[in-house]
Amino acid sequence: MTVVAGERAEQTRARYPDSEGYVERDGVRVFYEVYGEGAPTVLFLPTWTIIHSRHWKLQLPYFARHARAITLDPRGNGRSDRPSDPRAYDETEFAADALAVLDATGTDRAVIVSLSRGAHRALLLAAEHPERVAGAVFIGPSLPFGSLDEPRAILKRFDEELDTDAGWAKYNRHYWLRDFTGFLEFFFSQCFSEPHSTKQIEDCVGWGLETDAETLVASEDGVGLDSRESAVETCARIRCPTLVIHGSDDRIRPADHGAELARLTGGTFVSFEGAGHLPHARYPVKVNLLIREFVESLA
Amino acid sequence: MTVLEARREQTRARYPDEEGYVERDGVKVFYEVYGEREPTVLLLPTWSILHSRHWKMQIPYFARHFRVVAFDGRGNGKADRPSGIGAYTEHEFAADSLAVMDATGTETAVLVGLSCGALWGALLAANHSDRVLGGVFICPSVPLAPGHPERDVHSFEDRLDTEDGWAKYNRHYWLEHYEEFLEFFFGRMFTEPHSTKQIEDAVGWGLEIAPETLIESHEALELCGSERFSHVCARVRCPVLVLHGDEDALHPLARGAALAGATGGRLVTLEGSGHCPHVRDPVKVNLLIRDFVESVA
Repeated sequence: MTVVAGERAEQTRARYPDSEGYVERDGVRVFYEVYGEGAPTVLFLPTWTIIHSRHWKLQLPYFARHARAITLDPRGNGRSDRPSDPRAYDETEFAADALAVLDATGTDRAVIVSLSRGAHRALLLAAEHPERVAGAVFIGPSLPFGSLDEPRAILKRFDEELDTDAGWAKYNRHYWLRDFTGFLEFFFSQCFSEPHSTKQIEDCVGWGLETDAETLVASEDGVGLDSRESAVETCARIRCPTLVIHGSDDRIRPADHGAELARLTGGTFVSFEGAGHLPHARYPVKVNLLIREFVESLA
Repeated sequence: MTVLEARREQTRARYPDEEGYVERDGVKVFYEVYGEREPTVLLLPTWSILHSRHWKMQIPYFARHFRVVAFDGRGNGKADRPSGIGAYTEHEFAADSLAVMDATGTETAVLVGLSCGALWGALLAANHSDRVLGGVFICPSVPLAPGHPERDVHSFEDRLDTEDGWAKYNRHYWLEHYEEFLEFFFGRMFTEPHSTKQIEDAVGWGLEIAPETLIESHEALELCGSERFSHVCARVRCPVLVLHGDEDALHPLARGAALAGATGGRLVTLEGSGHCPHVRDPVKVNLLIRDFVESVA
């Protein structure tokens, strides 16, 4: 009798990095990986510290074949350090980490790809260092365009002790410290509004559990492009081509915020009908082709 | 602005090169032929709760390496839905299989069957050894070893005072709560995590047969006892490969082991797999089947 082992062995990768390393700034070490050696370089930026660079797992093997792909773990998760000071999570720090990784990997210029909150650091990097950024792709950008509508209005009470844990009330400092897993499960079920996403949700909850509630609270207190004015002003300084991809069923940030980013940066907007907040995880082929076409159009 | 659509109508990775119907005693069944390289792999129908689309992860792959014939068994898909228990015995399915082979000019084939497909697959191999090169039986539901004890607790025919668990496998429940039965049953079929798409597909196919017809097909299968089937197995002469998930919640691994023993075949145990490893782990299963087909051709 032959026994064939089940799928549930340790997770393996379709492709492993060709090199990896750390950059260190002010005592905080950030981990990066490099895949492939073609040109141009596509830099997959970290998103919010709630997950790490593995969320790009369906992009890295593909772009390693067609370009050179680099990614880094955000401070606070993955193999990067977990500073406890909220100032360490300012968006300028994330942008500086990305720049340090470009330097450390000998990358003069890259196309940058960001998800959600990664849009803040992507805009800062492109605005401050236009010579290093050939183009920018934004997926489900999370920027302060428009006020939060119900039921997410309760996010404004992040620091308050609430008398409910229902729905978006879980997006609350005190709830995170009380039931971090409960928050992760809720949040990622909202991120993946598409049917049949149980694997993607399970992956993201697992990556979320690699950090902790205290670190995530610190990251939430970091300063970014927190006002509409600062975001609009930064967008006005962007000179490179931009592509914005936004799911029409994004329950974290509405697609019209993505459309506004495209308008403010003079970029192309692609509405992805029926997709949620992480279309690159649920529809990788379509999203990879869009990004690849954009990258090739810049060459 | 560009608009992309995430969800569309279901399409196929490969469409048949030829399709048609064969008719026996006024009952038509629908077949499809893909590819042209010998030998032919005949994908047998399983219980009429599903039709041939459950092979969708096998057909495009095998069509590149072999000639593939698949057909909808009586009771589902594009096949007729005759009434009467007698229309759904293993003899009828075996005779349909032979008729499809004749209609498609298939002199010999390797048979691949899921679950109760082993009943008619073994019968065909025993009675027409000149037409069958080999048999692959996936999670065979054969009466050669006891089933899961929890499936034996409740009567199928009587009205029950509970609807819990396997009490849903009951004629009255099917007639009154058919879709809930399908959701329960396919939930037990796909015990692997992250099977929501496969369950949704199967429930959709299950809804293509009426519960009244499914009751008759169930009762026909019950007629195939262990003694009768043991005699069939003893007459199988071709090479046999049995694939069985060790977490199959519908039919225990012991049934697959017993079939391999009774036919002198080889058993491959798939760790962590449920009742449809060809759906949940298609690459692994396709490679195992391809190796077998190449070894007997």
